[in-house]
Amino acid sequence: MKKLCLGIESTAHTFSVGILDFDGEVYSLINDIFMPEEGGLHPALVREQHLNNFMKIVNRALSVAKISVKNINLIAFSQSPGLGPVLKIGAWVARMLSQVLVIPIVGVNHCIAHIEIGRLKCSIEDPLTLYVSGGNTIVSAFESERYQIFGETLDLPIGNMIDSFARDAGLQHPGGPKIEKLALESKKYIPLPYLVKGMDLSFSGLYTSAKKLLVSTDFNKKYNLNDTAYSLQETAFAMLTEVTERALAHTEKKEVLLTGGVAANKRLQQMVEYISKEHNARFEVVPLKYAGDNGVMIGWTGILRYKAEGGHEIAETIIKPKERMDQITVPWRSEN
Amino acid sequence: MNSDIYREKLIHKGAEANLYYGQWFNKKVIFKRRVPKRYRLEELDKRIRTERTLNEARALIRAKNYGVNIPQVYEIDVQNSTIVMKYIEGEKLKKILRTLDNNKKEEYFKKIGRDIAILHKNGHIHGDITTSNLIITQNEDIFIIDFGLHENSDKIEDKSVDLHLFKRVLISSHGKDYEVCFNAFIQGYISECEKENKNECNLIIKNINAIETRGRYVKSEDRL
Repeated sequence: MKKLCLGIESTAHTFSVGILDFDGEVYSLINDIFMPEEGGLHPALVREQHLNNFMKIVNRALSVAKISVKNINLIAFSQSPGLGPVLKIGAWVARMLSQVLVIPIVGVNHCIAHIEIGRLKCSIEDPLTLYVSGGNTIVSAFESERYQIFGETLDLPIGNMIDSFARDAGLQHPGGPKIEKLALESKKYIPLPYLVKGMDLSFSGLYTSAKKLLVSTDFNKKYNLNDTAYSLQETAFAMLTEVTERALAHTEKKEVLLTGGVAANKRLQQMVEYISKEHNARFEVVPLKYAGDNGVMIGWTGILRYKAEGGHEIAETIIKPKERMDQITVPWRSEN
Repeated sequence: MNSDIYREKLIHKGAEANLYYGQWFNKKVIFKRRVPKRYRLEELDKRIRTERTLNEARALIRAKNYGVNIPQVYEIDVQNSTIVMKYIEGEKLKKILRTLDNNKKEEYFKKIGRDIAILHKNGHIHGDITTSNLIITQNEDIFIIDFGLHENSDKIEDKSVDLHLFKRVLISSHGKDYEVCFNAFIQGYISECEKENKNECNLIIKNINAIETRGRYVKSEDRL
């Protein structure tokens, strides 16, 4: 029987367990996503839901994969970065399973996992990655032993910004898909601040301006919610695309990977695909199921690290809520 | 097109702009053209290109008033988001740095430090000081080019960021020469900037270290 890994994702709203073998074949993936009735992600409430549900999720993942927990050979968990109280749950579950089953444990950086699952699922070798989600906005590529960060947001992550705007507009979390839908209904662009600094981005001014549009006396007279959603998307995505293009010109990579929750947005896909073509680079979007937070990507990255340098000691499995991906070496990648 | 003005060849294709070498009333010039980006809305694209072209042209013209070598602007064509400026004959510092002996390096970087201090003193933040944006001419004049990320500011913070970015460039592109070059650069910078205000000068230099520790999620001991 092939060696199996159980991967646990627990950095924010999603508690997810994925089971896959060491060749990357997926046996099961079960997600439990925190959905606030109002407001955003309150860490204490997210934590509570994950605490209540983790056992069910682990058991369902095992039963869907039709394997016994005794057949698992490796435990991987999201060690960084994320909400502290939430990261802890994943770490507890992983340590417990590892010690009860007496099998190795590996801590994984969540951002690197997003790239690695993309490389696996899109059969891509050495991409420039635009990783856009509720908690992260990063342009990264592999260079001198690490996933270097070429550009990133200086304040709000893109997904967070769109969700916050949606919430201000009275839409329920998660707002991203709703904003995308509304934007399709408009062709009327309202000028908004566009802020790119070299390869870094700033979204806070854009957010404030868009929010002001909602409470202006012109709202629903000169323009409506659709137009605001459209203008917000067009501005923010053009910024993302511009920094991606800069990084692409700089690194001269031949592949572009779009990943993270916001990668599901068709308009963003269209824009990034456009610049990829212009630079003769292959463009791939990580399949939706694996683009958002999921246990499979954690499992797969855990397998890669385990194969390269073995497991972690329990003492090394302390969570690191603020670890950057460019602080970690990537021993399984040496080519370039 | 006017026969007195013509583009001869594309010499550099950047992420944002194309540089063409050409002639402008018998002068050797560079046409810096910000090309349309079709992924963004035409309206938005036009706005960004116009804003940036005007900003850069303004910066080039104003920053030239203080005795620092900066290419002369001949024409601004907003319609085509193009700046026509003097062609500077020489080599990029990036290309020749390795061939220089330490004395030359020190001499050049002190001069660069002084020039940047003069710009800062007058409220000009270059925004993208790199060894590719410094040109050494045959008579060893140093030209500062590419004011695409220029900002007007008198803030200590902005000045420190400008210096910090240059430090990062030196470390990543010229690791071996970094110490000699950056020390000379800072020496030159201080010599000019303390003439004006010694206290502010110290704060600018001190603030560079503060910035390094400030990156997103960076622990002080891990940065650089």
